[in-house]
Amino acid sequence: MTGLLRHLLISVKLNFRNPMALIYGYLFPLLFLFAFWAIYRHEQPPLMRHMGEILTITLLGGACFGLPTTLVSERERGVWRRYRLAPTPSWAFLVSLLTVRYLLLLTAGLIQLALACAIGASLPESSLSLLLAFTFAAFALMGVGLVIAMLSDSVPAVQALGQCVFLPMLIVGGVALPLSSLPGWAQHVSALFPGRYAVQSLQATFGGQPLDTVSFDLVALLLIGLAGLLAAVKMFRWEPSHSASAEGKPWILVVLGVWLSVGVAAELQDRIIVQPSEVRAEMADPVREPDHYLTEGSAPKSWREVTEADFAEIAFERLPPDDGIVAPIAALSDEPDPYTLARLDEIRTALLGWTPAQVEDPVQRARNLLFVAAVPDLLQMADIERFLPAVVLGRLRQSIPPADLPKILYWVALHPGQGDDTAITALPALGLPEINGPTRRDSRGRVMLYAFKLLERVTPLQARN
Amino acid sequence: MPKLAVRNLSKRYGSIQAACDVSFEIAAGEIFGLLGPNGAGKTSTLESLIGLIQPDAGEIEVCGIDARRHPQVAKAHIGAALQSTGLQDKITSCEALRLFADLYDRRVDLGTLLDRFGLRDFAHASFDTLSGGQKQRLALALAFVNDPQVIVLDEPTAGLDPRMRREFHTHIRQMKSEGRAVLLATHDMEEAERLCDRMAVLARGRIIAAGKPTELIARARDTTMISVQTSAPLDRLPRLAHATELVLDGSGIRFATTQVNAALAELVAALDAQRISIVSLRGERATLEDVILELTAASSGI
Repeated sequence: MTGLLRHLLISVKLNFRNPMALIYGYLFPLLFLFAFWAIYRHEQPPLMRHMGEILTITLLGGACFGLPTTLVSERERGVWRRYRLAPTPSWAFLVSLLTVRYLLLLTAGLIQLALACAIGASLPESSLSLLLAFTFAAFALMGVGLVIAMLSDSVPAVQALGQCVFLPMLIVGGVALPLSSLPGWAQHVSALFPGRYAVQSLQATFGGQPLDTVSFDLVALLLIGLAGLLAAVKMFRWEPSHSASAEGKPWILVVLGVWLSVGVAAELQDRIIVQPSEVRAEMADPVREPDHYLTEGSAPKSWREVTEADFAEIAFERLPPDDGIVAPIAALSDEPDPYTLARLDEIRTALLGWTPAQVEDPVQRARNLLFVAAVPDLLQMADIERFLPAVVLGRLRQSIPPADLPKILYWVALHPGQGDDTAITALPALGLPEINGPTRRDSRGRVMLYAFKLLERVTPLQARN
Repeated sequence: MPKLAVRNLSKRYGSIQAACDVSFEIAAGEIFGLLGPNGAGKTSTLESLIGLIQPDAGEIEVCGIDARRHPQVAKAHIGAALQSTGLQDKITSCEALRLFADLYDRRVDLGTLLDRFGLRDFAHASFDTLSGGQKQRLALALAFVNDPQVIVLDEPTAGLDPRMRREFHTHIRQMKSEGRAVLLATHDMEEAERLCDRMAVLARGRIIAAGKPTELIARARDTTMISVQTSAPLDRLPRLAHATELVLDGSGIRFATTQVNAALAELVAALDAQRISIVSLRGERATLEDVILELTAASSGI
């Protein structure tokens, strides 16, 4: 027992004397934290929707690179051969190795968390849930790291094999890019990697969800970790010259089998959230000409001449669904999380003094306000976009007389190319990003869709029947 | 009871028989040498004893403990210094000694160990800053953290300068005087002759000769080589009934004999007849190195 504790203590000390270990373990994850902060700089509070991703990257770096690099380099220089002369059982070294790595991961995670909080993020409601989710994710990824160590004959081999696991998880595994922004096939692929389950279980704690809502992800992580640990024990080697034994190598198939089984189980339970066919169909042709949304041609000469009969010609059913990717609108039952709620309040307050919402021409005023919903939709600001239409509608109702609002929305919807779009440049005053170039033209299509959708909500029901 | 007993140890790697039927015993206070060329089976034998490899057959007894059945218990009684000691670059001598003492679950007097192996000045220096000699001193010190009864040393002085080698020889003799059983694998015949009480010569995995160094030399060859320089070149080869391998090279004569007195008497008589005097005379018995080279060459069929 004293041997195990001494080994643990010295391993921690040696880690802090090794500059490369510090770079990989602490600095490297911080670079990702700042990169995420820069990429999602418009989100408020910052980073809260990406802490799962950031912590998973920290875990991946420490567990899939740091752990096997330390183990293999020590094995290469004969340290493990020397350990083997002592009467200490091999499991004690493995326990010490994993405990040390877990403590290093924990400290790296705490530094990430502290920095994120310094930037403006906040701690999740339940720190215990976060610790549990972190522990499960660390266990799974350390299992992967151990298998890499047993398969690698040298440190360069660790780097090569580690990249084979790290990069796919980062790019198509839901770790560096949100699952919702990945194509359908990538979402299916992501279900085969542990990174997705790590991100989802960690992120759930930041979203205030209880851990039982991610029990599938936690079980997946546990199974992946156990398979890795078992395979590593079976393939364990003390010396660089002895490659993994012939009896040990088939355990790789067990590890891959568990990854595959978890992916299949996720498929069977319909946990691959966004169906690729819907995404493709919707994204292939998201916005049509205004006529597409009318049953008959209608041509009032000005917005003042629009009548209820014109509203009746609108084919609202042809609009993209409210719960889709294009021009979404949150259902009444869809509650924003506390952070989104706070952000919406800020925008609502800022809109009261927003200059584009005060221009004299009521049509341009309405168009300007519609950009507030259209631009975040175009930018796929998944956290906030579906809640903004309600805020915009509230402001429209304040600034345009009720009798005129349906007519103006109808007019804006049918004439998306008219008026100017300089209101987009004033969006940063609301804490929203502005856009430039051809994207500004695209935003007019989203203005049209939201004009139709809000018109449906302000038009008397009888007018549509 | 011997401190270390090896009986019929065998180890095979594919088609290569690394060790075959190797048997020997080492008593308390005895230094036993294991000699032989590269690939003779020294390392396989040694690694089997210290638990680094699993032999295919044979018995190993360490202080009366069956080391194959209870390897962890046996390891507690063995201290080993391998050819190269692998430690982390940034670990200090002090930390390494404490770590290994704890791995053996032993309390050690660090100061005594540091002083005994001349490590006091480098106690807090990291491993990567130590010289080759200092690293070997640390390796010896690490082998002593569990106060072992059996010490296994694999080429402990390889690559060391003469001063350091002499220091290591003193350490090894001290181990013997403390009553420990020392197994020394070495290439250095002079070292083996100087230190070992008994030795075994390995070739192709088998022990081809064993005994005290003087016995080995005597058993293999009792011939003396005589080299003579004369005051003038000889006209012809002298007739020496008690000499063999006679070679004449100008004023130099070289021959082998098992009866030195008789051969020299014949030579002196032959030289007197030609009125030539002896300028220098040298007699040499075969060295251990000659013997081992001869033995291993014979075993390899060279």
